[in-house]
Amino acid sequence: MLRSERSTLRRFLALYAFLTLALVLVASVLYYRSEERIMLLRRKAQVADYAADQIKRLRRLHEHFPRERTYPRDPRFRSAIYDLEHVQIFSTMRNNVVDFRRDIYRHDGVIHFVKLLDSYYLGAKYLFIEIPDDRAWFWTTLGKTALGAGVALFLLALAGLYLARLFLSPMRRSIELLDRFIKDTTHELNTPLTTILANVEGLDSAGLDARQRKKLERIDLAARTVSTLYDDLKYVTLESERPARDSDIDLTELLKERLLFFETMFRARNLELHTNLHPTVMHADRRLIARLVDNLLSNAAKYNRRGGSIEVTLRPGELSIRDSGRGIPPEVLREIFDRYARFDESEGGFGLGLDIVRRIAERYGLEISLDSEPGKGTEVKVLWKDAES
Amino acid sequence: MKRVVFSLLILIGLGMALSAQTSIFDRNCVSCHRREGVSLRRTFMNALLIYSGEQNMKAGLKYFLRHPSKETSVMGEEYFRTHRLKAPTTLTDSELDAALDTYWQRYKVIGNLR
Repeated sequence: MLRSERSTLRRFLALYAFLTLALVLVASVLYYRSEERIMLLRRKAQVADYAADQIKRLRRLHEHFPRERTYPRDPRFRSAIYDLEHVQIFSTMRNNVVDFRRDIYRHDGVIHFVKLLDSYYLGAKYLFIEIPDDRAWFWTTLGKTALGAGVALFLLALAGLYLARLFLSPMRRSIELLDRFIKDTTHELNTPLTTILANVEGLDSAGLDARQRKKLERIDLAARTVSTLYDDLKYVTLESERPARDSDIDLTELLKERLLFFETMFRARNLELHTNLHPTVMHADRRLIARLVDNLLSNAAKYNRRGGSIEVTLRPGELSIRDSGRGIPPEVLREIFDRYARFDESEGGFGLGLDIVRRIAERYGLEISLDSEPGKGTEVKVLWKDAES
Repeated sequence: MKRVVFSLLILIGLGMALSAQTSIFDRNCVSCHRREGVSLRRTFMNALLIYSGEQNMKAGLKYFLRHPSKETSVMGEEYFRTHRLKAPTTLTDSELDAALDTYWQRYKVIGNLR
């Protein structure tokens, strides 16, 4: 899976997970509230009977007050009376935090039922009946909610996976189409390119005049550029999955060979080459490391200014290629290693080069450091743990 | 010596003020109700049935005492078959408030239940 695909999938899944969780949470809260309401309605009928009994007792007490001063009590419930101004007249309740706006509610382990009196016996407008909340319904509801939420999350996760596949399929199809096109094109490029390069190398340029030699050099440069591109395409489409043939590579010798290959390109762009190559050996597949080096050298040449310079430094554990080109804007640095990512359309290419570099680096655990300053140039460092250091 | 005299004067003053306040209620309410043979406790409990809260009751009774009518009385229709409607009070606002405060304090239910 490509990084862009992974990133899209990650964003989609994050958004989906957030919305799913929010949906399940809201549904759970609504279900909980509805179950609480149902439980309270069931209790309300019972508590309303208690209230009717208590009102009768209050009436009797009102008629006999102050000869009789004992507030009526009942073992089935506790109660309190409040006047119209919400002042407490008397209470036997355990929890005296009361809400005058609701007829029945739960609070801190008790259920309060509020009855408004038609005649204000003893001045009471509000009669509160308090019964304990045994919370049995709570654990049942919690279990049901958790089960429902779990099933909903599972089903929504399945739907999410299906949607993610559906969502990514156009992107995947486009990439597959592009890959297939490149694969077919690559296959067709091989024979003519080999023929051009063999014939150019076979020509004796000594017998040509300066103008003809210049033309021949241009053909050679163009052929080598296409050759590098061909090698990249071949790697991406045909060879990346091939098992590596690792061995100890003399990197100094490899670099010299690749610099020689790019000599025509450097000369055509009037680039000055500085090398500082220390004997270095790396254990890897020579073909892959050559692709990595070719891509870095090709970029250093392509995105350089005419008459600029390229510095190549090799020492155990580090390969550095620095150019004096236009540099890379900071905002595109993050995506520069993505496949088909191109920050500069002025040069040819498919945007495969740095993707290949990244893949090879990941394969061998190499660290790539990219330091770029717009207008001044770019330095790419390949770092690895040298066996001898 | 001066301090003792000063303290006595304050105590006497306070006593007089308190007795004056009580006497407004006793002079103007208790005496009349006694004459008419109407229990102040009964009127209080009737008022409580209608007005419920302290402020509401005081405001309701104050209005009734200023503008007496059968409709705004806390006594039922039955009462007026044997009793006449009282005349509007001549007390000032502050005297009326003081009398009603005494009335509330003397007959209130809050704090008198157990």
